[in-house]
This record gives sequence, structure tokens and C-alpha cells, in this order.
Amino acid sequence: MKLLFKPAKTLGASLLLASAFMAQPVLANGPIGEHVNHLQANLKSYAEEVEWMVGKVDTMVSDYDTKGAKSVKTDDLIEYWESVKFHSAIETNFVPVYASIWQGLYGVKMAIDNKEPAEEVRKQQKAMNIALWQGLGAVKLAAKFQQKGLLDTVKATATTQMTQSATIDEIKHKLDRVVAKFAERLRDEATEIVHDTYLHLFEGVEGTLIEQDAKLVEVLEKDFNVTLPQAIKNSKSVDEVRDVISDMQTKLDRAKVLIEKAEKARKDVF
Amino acid sequence: MKRRTFIQGLAALGVVGSLPLPLSRALAADIANPVSVDDLPKLKGELTLYLGRGEGGLYENVLQAIQKKNPDFKLGIRRGPTAALANTIVAEAKAGVRRADLFWAVDSGAIGLVTDAGLAQPIPGDLSAQLQPQFRYKEWAPVTGRIRTLPYNTSRLTKDQIPTSIMEIADSDLSIGWAPAYASFQSFVTAMRILEGDDKTAKWLKKIQKRAKTYAGELGVVMGVERGEVDIGFANHYYTLRLKSGKPDAKLDLAFTQNDAGCLVNASGVLALNDDPLATNFMRYLLSKEVQGYLASEAYEIPLVNGITQPEGLPSLANISPPKVDLTQLADLRPTIDLMRSSGVL
Repeated sequence: MKLLFKPAKTLGASLLLASAFMAQPVLANGPIGEHVNHLQANLKSYAEEVEWMVGKVDTMVSDYDTKGAKSVKTDDLIEYWESVKFHSAIETNFVPVYASIWQGLYGVKMAIDNKEPAEEVRKQQKAMNIALWQGLGAVKLAAKFQQKGLLDTVKATATTQMTQSATIDEIKHKLDRVVAKFAERLRDEATEIVHDTYLHLFEGVEGTLIEQDAKLVEVLEKDFNVTLPQAIKNSKSVDEVRDVISDMQTKLDRAKVLIEKAEKARKDVF
Repeated sequence: MKRRTFIQGLAALGVVGSLPLPLSRALAADIANPVSVDDLPKLKGELTLYLGRGEGGLYENVLQAIQKKNPDFKLGIRRGPTAALANTIVAEAKAGVRRADLFWAVDSGAIGLVTDAGLAQPIPGDLSAQLQPQFRYKEWAPVTGRIRTLPYNTSRLTKDQIPTSIMEIADSDLSIGWAPAYASFQSFVTAMRILEGDDKTAKWLKKIQKRAKTYAGELGVVMGVERGEVDIGFANHYYTLRLKSGKPDAKLDLAFTQNDAGCLVNASGVLALNDDPLATNFMRYLLSKEVQGYLASEAYEIPLVNGITQPEGLPSLANISPPKVDLTQLADLRPTIDLMRSSGVL
């Protein structure tokens, strides 16, 4: 089946993302409940919430199909999503899917608001459902890591070691959050994350990186300060922003290799 | 006669000590030699350090090495933006809590927030005696320095064409790259306010703004200068040195103003929040010749103790005449931000 938007990287790769789960400070818009530190105990309610969401959206789409646009309030879609605990469980554990859920929600909302045929709305609904179930899978996986003690408690301040190569991982994670915030239609916040990530994280590694590959730094500088902010400002689709970020993340992978090489070659302090 | 040539000439005559210039005074001052870590007391016990994010992982490497050398020592580290951690320390103190034993800040302004609140412990005399005299403070120890510079494009200019007064640059016809939102730039403007006053600083900002191209960060400024987008830039020294290290044929060199905010030497610094001798002994490791040498060669930072080689590509500090500014005064950032906003720069 072809999705209407590009899916986040497959959950099959999630095992490799254990390091991304770990030690990532999370700064959510709203309060994140303590439940995110007890995922296993909450899996049942998360699953119920996903089913509830899927049902509520299905009812809305059916009403739209049979009774017309005036019979539904599409703003309710956002309220449904923001009311469930699962929202912060997925936001703290698998940001790329979190972005896809928002993308799906707005896909349904915009299709209805633009009075698209019901068939088109159903396509968007299907994509949203897939993202929701994919999100539940990600949270279940994260719960397993948490049970094994491999998942750090969610906190607002980084307390673990931040080597330069680990900083690259955090930058990539922050860029995932940019897609998520853009998908939430929070463009200012997405832009602010880009700005903060550049100033507080990328600035810390680019000194080392420029000694390794000045051209790569030049390109990433442009990405952080021109290409990505403009994509957020001007793009109409989440996929366009995601493409820019995917391209940056590929460059950051290259940067990580170079930085690890530089770290190995660096002389000892004593 | 140019001032730097003048100083060099006087140094050769052995009369530098008579000059009222901070660094020239330092040349003739009595400075204790830095200590090797092998001669420092072993660290035993536990400390919590609040570490302002700085030179990527290089400060981390130093901390790891200190712990590796002292197996009976455990260091808890909380990391975050320097200003945020300084505010946290002050807020914790107001709440009657002290979680940090030490604070290593990348910016002396953040240090000032903590010392102004009366939370820092006095520095032992033998420790501060290792530092250059103008970097001796009662309650904190500068660790390494960075100097404000004028990176310039060597295919567009020669050094002689660049004014040696930061205030005169505003009246020149040079195109300029700057990053006004950048913390180091704002510290520089604060120094200008302290040295020249708010009115002159506001006029300077407005004049510069007319010919300035804005970049997000100072590495961006230096790269813009190298690409020839602008003639000169305002930036800390290490961006240029690093770019030239990665791109040896870069059309780039450093110029310096004289005895004004344009060549301010700012510093990272450490302070103790309790009187535990363990905290003081930890600070001694940061001023050891090994750590100072490491940060100079790997992070291109300026060592502030005697006998350590400067980062490659940076002129000797003896040939530069930075202004005398109490670095902790740079904490007074709010009036600077207000001034930059009212001048339309931010």
C-alpha cells in the first residue's frame, strides 16, 4: 500500500535506536505525565486510547460522508489527540512517528475542511491510522527497553556525558522534533528548535568538524541558517521539510564519522 | 608609530613593566609556574560539577582524564547552557539548596551572576598566583581565554588598511560580518558599554549595522569573510584558527584593535560553591600545565598560566593590548540587550 506521506523509518530499525531513546532530554509543549517513565504499566491504556482515537476519527469521517461537512467539527481531531496520554508517550520516545501522526491528523482535517471527496478523506484517515498503530508499536518497544533499564528517566536537563559524536546524535534527534513541530503546525516553535540546536549543539562541534571537512561545515551552516528555516517558512507539506532534514541527517552521519575519527586521533589530556 | 611595535620595542629595552597596560604588566609580573598533575594531591571523594556546554566534548575529555587519574574520585556532572546553569545555582541557593560543588562556565558573565549573589568561595592565593595578574579574581579562576579579533579577507585587504580602533571601524568603508545574537558578541558590546559608555556604543552599533551582513554564529562570520562576502568580521579568535587548520589556503588572517573592546580577552572560568578542599584541589587540575596545554592545542583556547604554548597561528599576547575589564562585570547583560534592541540591532 502506498502511504500518502513518507513514513518514518521502519520500526524494524528501532532496535538500533536504543541510543536515541536513551538520555534524550525532552522539552514538550505541555506537561509530560510521569506515566512516560512507566510505559509497561500504561500499555493497555495507550492501546485503548489508540482504538478510541481511531474510532472517533472514523465516526467523524463517516458523518462527513453521510451528512456533509457541516455535521462535523474538524478542530475536535486536534482535541482528541491532545487529550490522550499516548500523545506524550510517543512524543518522548519516537519523534519521527509523532510527526507522522500529526501529519495524518491534519491530512484528515484539511481534506474535510477543503470539502474533498469522502474517498480522499478515507485515504488520509488510513494513513493516520497506520501512523497511530506504528506509534503504539514504538511505545511497546520503548517499554521493553525501559523494563530492562535501558531507557533513562525522562528529564529536562542532560546529565549524561555529551561527547562530540553524541552531540551529533542529539542534533539529529532535535531535527526529528523540528518535523514533529512543523507537522503540529507550530512553525515558530520548529524554527526556534532549529535556531537553538544550531547555537547550543552544532556550534559545539563545528570547530572540530571544520578541521576535518571545511566544505561540509559550510553546507551544514547553510542548511541550519538558510535552507531549513526557509523550508519551514515557505513549505506547504511536511514531506518537503522532512526531505530537507533527511538530507541534513545524512550529512550529519558523515560529520559523525569524521568527528569520531578526530576523537580517536586526539591526544590524551594526561 | 604603531602601538604594538612600540610595545615590542620597549620589551626589547626591558622597560615594559613601567607601562600601564595590563598584559605588559603581566610580562614582568611574578607568576608562579603551573603545576604538573603528577605533583597535585590525589582527589578522593565526590563532587558535583555544573558544566556549561562549551567546546563540544573537549571539556568532557578533561573531566574524564581527571577521573581516570583519580580512581577514588567520583564526579557528578550536570550539563546545560552556561547562563541557565548560573541561574539554576542562584535559584537553588534562594531555595536553601546547594546541589553543585563547582561551576565551570564557558562565559565569565555567567560566573558574575554567581559571584554577585555571594555564592562563590575565595580562591587560595597559591592557585590564583599561577594565573596572569590581570586574570586573578578573588572568587573564581579563569581557565582559558579567547580574544576578540577582526578576521579579514586577505585577497581584499591588507592588515594596514584595517583601523586599530574598534570605534574607528564604524567610520571606515569596510563591509562587515557580524553575529549580534551571539553571546560572545554581546559580551563584547557589554565591554564596549563599560569602556565607552552607552551613547557611544549605541552610535557605533547603528553605524555598523548600515554596512553589516548578519550571520547566525561567529564561525559563519569567519566563513563569510573567507568567501569574500564581507571584508572583515567580528569574531573570537579560534574560529579563524580552526578554519585555517581545515583549509590552509583560506584567504583569511587576523587583525586586532588596540586597548579597546575590539580585542577583549574573555575567559571560561571555574568557581567553588563550598569550602571543601576537594573542590579547590579539583580546580588545581584545570590550571595544571597538562590541561592548559591540551585546551590550547586541541580547542585553540588561550592558556592563562605561564609557559604554555599559545594556539598555533595566534600572535603572542605580549603583542596584543586588550583592555582592562573586570570580566565579571560582563554579567550585566540586560542593559546590553536593551541597548541593542533600542538600536534596532536585535
